[in-house]
Amino acid sequence: MKRALTAALLIIVALPMLYAVAQLPPQGSPTSPAYTHVSARYLEAGPEEAGAENVVTAVILNYRGFDTDGEVTVIFTSLAAVLAVLLGVRTGEKPLAGQPVSSVEASVVVSFVVRLLAPAIALFGIYVILHGHVSPGGGFQGGAILASLLIIITTILERAQAEALVPLRIRRWLQIAAPLAFFTVGVAGLVVFGNYLQFPRTHDLAWLTVTWLTIIEIGIGVGGAAILATIFWTMGGDS
Amino acid sequence: MSASTMIVAVIIVPLLGAVLTPVVGGRSGKAAGPWAFGTMLLTSAIGVYLMAHVARVGPFSAYLGGWEPPYGIELRFDEFSASISVICLLGTLAILFSFRYAEKELPAERLRYYYTLLLLNLTGMIGFVVTGDLFNLFVFMEILSLSSYALVAVSGEHTAEMAAFKYLIMGAVSSLLVLFGIGLLYALTGSLNMADISTRLTGAAEAPAMLAFAVLAVGFVVKAAVFPLHIWLPDAHAIAPSPVSAILSGLVVKMGLLGLVRIYQIYYGARVLDLSTFNLMLVWLGAISIVMGAFFAIFQEDIKMMLAYSTISNVGYIVMGLGLASQYSVIGATVHVFNHAIIKATLFLGAGALIYRTGYRNLTDLRGVGRSMPLTTAAISIGAVSIVGIPPTAGFLCKWYIALGAIEANQPFFGFALVFGALFIFVYYIRMVNAFYFQQPVHPEILELKEAPPSMLVPVLLLAALCLIMGILGRLPLSFIEPAVARLLGTLGMGG
Repeated sequence: MKRALTAALLIIVALPMLYAVAQLPPQGSPTSPAYTHVSARYLEAGPEEAGAENVVTAVILNYRGFDTDGEVTVIFTSLAAVLAVLLGVRTGEKPLAGQPVSSVEASVVVSFVVRLLAPAIALFGIYVILHGHVSPGGGFQGGAILASLLIIITTILERAQAEALVPLRIRRWLQIAAPLAFFTVGVAGLVVFGNYLQFPRTHDLAWLTVTWLTIIEIGIGVGGAAILATIFWTMGGDS
Repeated sequence: MSASTMIVAVIIVPLLGAVLTPVVGGRSGKAAGPWAFGTMLLTSAIGVYLMAHVARVGPFSAYLGGWEPPYGIELRFDEFSASISVICLLGTLAILFSFRYAEKELPAERLRYYYTLLLLNLTGMIGFVVTGDLFNLFVFMEILSLSSYALVAVSGEHTAEMAAFKYLIMGAVSSLLVLFGIGLLYALTGSLNMADISTRLTGAAEAPAMLAFAVLAVGFVVKAAVFPLHIWLPDAHAIAPSPVSAILSGLVVKMGLLGLVRIYQIYYGARVLDLSTFNLMLVWLGAISIVMGAFFAIFQEDIKMMLAYSTISNVGYIVMGLGLASQYSVIGATVHVFNHAIIKATLFLGAGALIYRTGYRNLTDLRGVGRSMPLTTAAISIGAVSIVGIPPTAGFLCKWYIALGAIEANQPFFGFALVFGALFIFVYYIRMVNAFYFQQPVHPEILELKEAPPSMLVPVLLLAALCLIMGILGRLPLSFIEPAVARLLGTLGMGG
């Protein structure tokens, strides 16, 4: 009965929604406002005035950089949320040194392969971060790659050893690298060009745009990696 | 520094303060509280400057990155943005109140992240009210929501975690609806700037415009906890630490309502839809919220549960005022956003002080506490009188305006519902005051207690004083918001 009612309700809600969505400007039509208004300018003038070779990067870091500033804050908020809810659960003690994360030892093969791959993964992560201003992607993806490196290292080392790779004192700074990078570039833009997060518009200052974009990409990458790894370590703490 | 730089600063300062809190918290995390307090003082100073500026010259904007709208993100400070005054005020006082409260109630390791989340929460709200860009609004709403869920769970008790989870599920659905609505508006207009959407929406296809309005409105109404969508609120607001309850009940639910105001600004301006059916629905939901919230509150034993249900009633008043869409009612509703924030913070922080000293939260257990903690209970009583709406306190003028608005809109029946709701509310606050002052204590040791420490008592007394002051100076916010409301309804052709 309850199921039938739910299904009926869903259909009643879905029908007018589908009817309305069907009347939207058609997807892919060149006359749709989504292509003719704001995005048209991004595509035409983006590479020139925004200074990033990739239009996606130009939009997320330059035209709408403040949104991305907000997004990295959302990621930091999730870290603060996890720590605020999970720290101090285990009778208030720090995890014991030498306490293994998993009760099963990693096999020699796994351990060897992880060691073998680690430098390559690190290199790839750094490459993705630094390539951010010419290809879609950058800090967020590269940060996730670096974080996954820390996570697989945790599976072969004892957790305390893995965590020691990013000591707590530095880790707290690394976790806020993304908002700090945005703040640095934002204030630099304010001082030099008069607006928070303003990048140079002229072609001869393109090197400055690239430098600033790279600072932000590195901040996002390092910060994202530190945050993801910390969340993993904190949530894995109970096992 | 120009005024437009200051709009950016009012977001960036608390944001930077928040992310630095874990680092400057020191080895023990003890420095986190004072750091957060200092951050909010600085933010408040910027807020005061912005308010003075908007009062002098009217709404003004900042273009981030120097990109003019609609290509970049516009921050726009208008009269509705002036709600940062209460955000800064309550934020500062709640942090001050937390110094002793959080030290006692929370595990020490969590302290620095508790203050981080508080600052992030306040940053989210400040960004939410000053942005002129719809997607930027969503980003700040996410900062705000995520930090709210965690703040409910921060005490670590099992009930708190369950309450936070329920809040999270409802909140996530509402965020999804809002995002969907933003996507629809983008498909219709190709823009994310609110003012630009409003102009470009004129002449858009009616059905998708209606759907966008509906999902945005429902999304914000869930955040505002209007009657059938309120089920997450009582547990979350009652179980959270008291300073968090004050922020959630006083401010966070209001963001849903301000979101609704922003949607009205877009749609009233675009004249693409006739919103009178929706408005009538809102008025009815408001009326039901008033009565149901008050009705459930009467049966609560837990003092904070009672206050949480009372928030549902008060949101009902505001929603009803917005829905009546007449000059008086919208002014009354907007000002009630401010005044209810102050009143509810008085009550929640007062209740927090009682719980801190006595360890009890049920009315029966708290009997006689008025004799040992006279200042705190006096403050709570002032808050209670204000929330019922007895002149000359802060609650009176808004309700009077909403009632006048009901008559102006030719719907006197709803004015009656409003008075009826106030009577209900009166009953349960009488119960509370009666328990504090006139009943024999169940726990005799309650008579031996002292007042809460100054860092808790001062915020409570300050807020109680404001309840009285805002009642006497009530015309000030009314005249401040009047031009904004006239503009909003003027586009509708029914203002003035």
